[in-house]
Amino acid sequence: MSGPEPAIAVADATKIYRRYVRQAHGTLKSALLSRRLSLRGEGGVVALDGVSFTVASGESIGVIGSNGSGKSTLLKLLANIVRPTRGSVAVRGRLAALLELGAGFHPEISGRENIGITGLLLGLTKKEIAARFDDVVRFAGVEEFLDAPVKTYSSGMAVRLGFAIAAHSDPDVLLVDEVLAVGDEAFAHRALEKFSEFERAGKTLVFVSHDLGLVAQRCRRAIWLDHGRLAADGVAGEVVARYRERVAAEEGDRRTAGAGEGGRIGSGVASIEVVRLLDRKGRPTARLRSGEAASVEMVVRAPEALSDFVFGVQIATVSGTIVFGTNTALEGLRAERLAGDARVVLEIPALDLAPGVYALDAAVHARDGAPYDYRRDVLRFEVTAERAGTGVWSPARRWSFSGGIRWKE
Amino acid sequence: MTFLSPLRRTWAQRALVAALVRRELAARYRGGSLGVLWSFLTPLLLLLVFATVFRFVFAPRADVRPYALFLFGGVLVWGFVSAALSDAVETFRANGPLLRKTTVAPEVFPAAAVGARLVHLLLALPVLGAAIVVATVRGGVRPGAALLEFPIVLALLTLSVFGAALFVSALAVHFGDVRDVVANLLTVSFFVTPVLYPVEAVPERWRWLLRANPFASFFSGVHDTLFYFRPVSSSGWLWMAGTAAVALAVGAATFERLRDTLAEEA
Repeated sequence: MSGPEPAIAVADATKIYRRYVRQAHGTLKSALLSRRLSLRGEGGVVALDGVSFTVASGESIGVIGSNGSGKSTLLKLLANIVRPTRGSVAVRGRLAALLELGAGFHPEISGRENIGITGLLLGLTKKEIAARFDDVVRFAGVEEFLDAPVKTYSSGMAVRLGFAIAAHSDPDVLLVDEVLAVGDEAFAHRALEKFSEFERAGKTLVFVSHDLGLVAQRCRRAIWLDHGRLAADGVAGEVVARYRERVAAEEGDRRTAGAGEGGRIGSGVASIEVVRLLDRKGRPTARLRSGEAASVEMVVRAPEALSDFVFGVQIATVSGTIVFGTNTALEGLRAERLAGDARVVLEIPALDLAPGVYALDAAVHARDGAPYDYRRDVLRFEVTAERAGTGVWSPARRWSFSGGIRWKE
Repeated sequence: MTFLSPLRRTWAQRALVAALVRRELAARYRGGSLGVLWSFLTPLLLLLVFATVFRFVFAPRADVRPYALFLFGGVLVWGFVSAALSDAVETFRANGPLLRKTTVAPEVFPAAAVGARLVHLLLALPVLGAAIVVATVRGGVRPGAALLEFPIVLALLTLSVFGAALFVSALAVHFGDVRDVVANLLTVSFFVTPVLYPVEAVPERWRWLLRANPFASFFSGVHDTLFYFRPVSSSGWLWMAGTAAVALAVGAATFERLRDTLAEEA
């Protein structure tokens, strides 16, 4: 998928962080006592698991994924800060890593001295540093503070200076980790301009960010890391879209978990003891497929016999939009007697909801609306579907075409 | 000879090591009105204390006169060894962010720790020179050409200390108590090394024990060149060169073995 000589070639890269320090022997004494001076600790954290991809020279690639997905580890492997446990990582040409702007700064010495030392840390020679010095200072806008110790710099100034040094180190491959998050708007703008300059100059850019919009917009290609594995590699817009869907689904899980706290009002003349959502086989569930049969079951108790009662069910999105609601009065059922324990089931042959998380309210109340027991947000459930759509309704559907229309396989 | 690659890398990065040393010194003296003058004042004060204490409080050793001068050279050089190794133990902790976030070769940190302390020692040497001049004028010592052998002694000692610094700095990343082990070893070594006393003061049958101490030959060398002004014996040179070679080899090999894990653990 890339040219004959890729700028970056990652083959089956696996990184397992050993955990010996916090395990068997944190101290030399315990290591000696246990006679295990070997540093091969048992177990470890798999930070990256068999990741392979190549990046062509001049390509900009975004790396996305949630925290702990292995993005930073990948960058450290690319930057040769850590070695892969298995597999190989090869980068051609001079590399500059913007992993933490101003990481090399010493607070007590001047900006001028820090430029010199950071340049050396980035692999520049003294001559190269001297040649770029003025450009760096101008880009960072620290002319007046050049001889003041860096500890007197504002955090914005330090970040700009750190970025300026790295950006002017003339790398062939630039690794950028979330650095735009730290600066102000103007800095972010200038940094992005600098990246564009890199691209025009045919440099390779690896861009790690939580700003999905930025990745989709800046990079033609993106890779998505999920728990250390390569979950997707392709056109940035599509990878970002798929990642967003996943995040939304996981967010859904979290929100279904937070149900039942919506409150409960009513006189208590009758009460709803249990509300359950059942799948088509009658098993309680919190997750349904769109279009499947479902039913809502309520266990109701009325200590004293009642002749005025209505059962109601309402489904809403978690943001509060009512999707559907009904009650026994609206359906034309006229109450005669409710006494003791009772079971109410509302069957829905096809739950044609769009994918998402929904909240369910259940109620028993008088015909005039006075609640006996109104349980808001008593349970939450998630609806999944193979095909996404917009809105809340996802009816059974079929497209048909005739005439001069053809679709790819 | 891949186990020697830490030495090769240090050499390749000597400009960075020099810059780190300068940074260390600049940062240390920044903000103080006396600045680099402290490097003279501290040893000068030490010398005055020695001269006073051994004149009025303790009886000086009769076999080495003037004892204050004898002490001064040894204590200055020991200060370098001790401070360099203590700094080396801490260096990866202190430079953790750099190590984790940049592609820098980790060897430069122990090298810079040793380098900075060496510069401190060099800055103190004029005070030692002045002390020798004063002692000469007062007829206590007669300096000779052997003084010129001191730089070679110091060079071999620095190489040995660098080897040891590679060793302890890498180990300290993995084992939290290396710091305490090193601190205690240094304390004990100070007394079992001929810093405060000449080798001749040790009874004949215990001398072998002194030889087993890798630092001993260097401090004999320091006393030979800076106090007795007699040429270092060839066995002395052999011991020093051998110690330097072994220290560099063991230090470099250990460092190379642990190198990949430093950025993960520091």
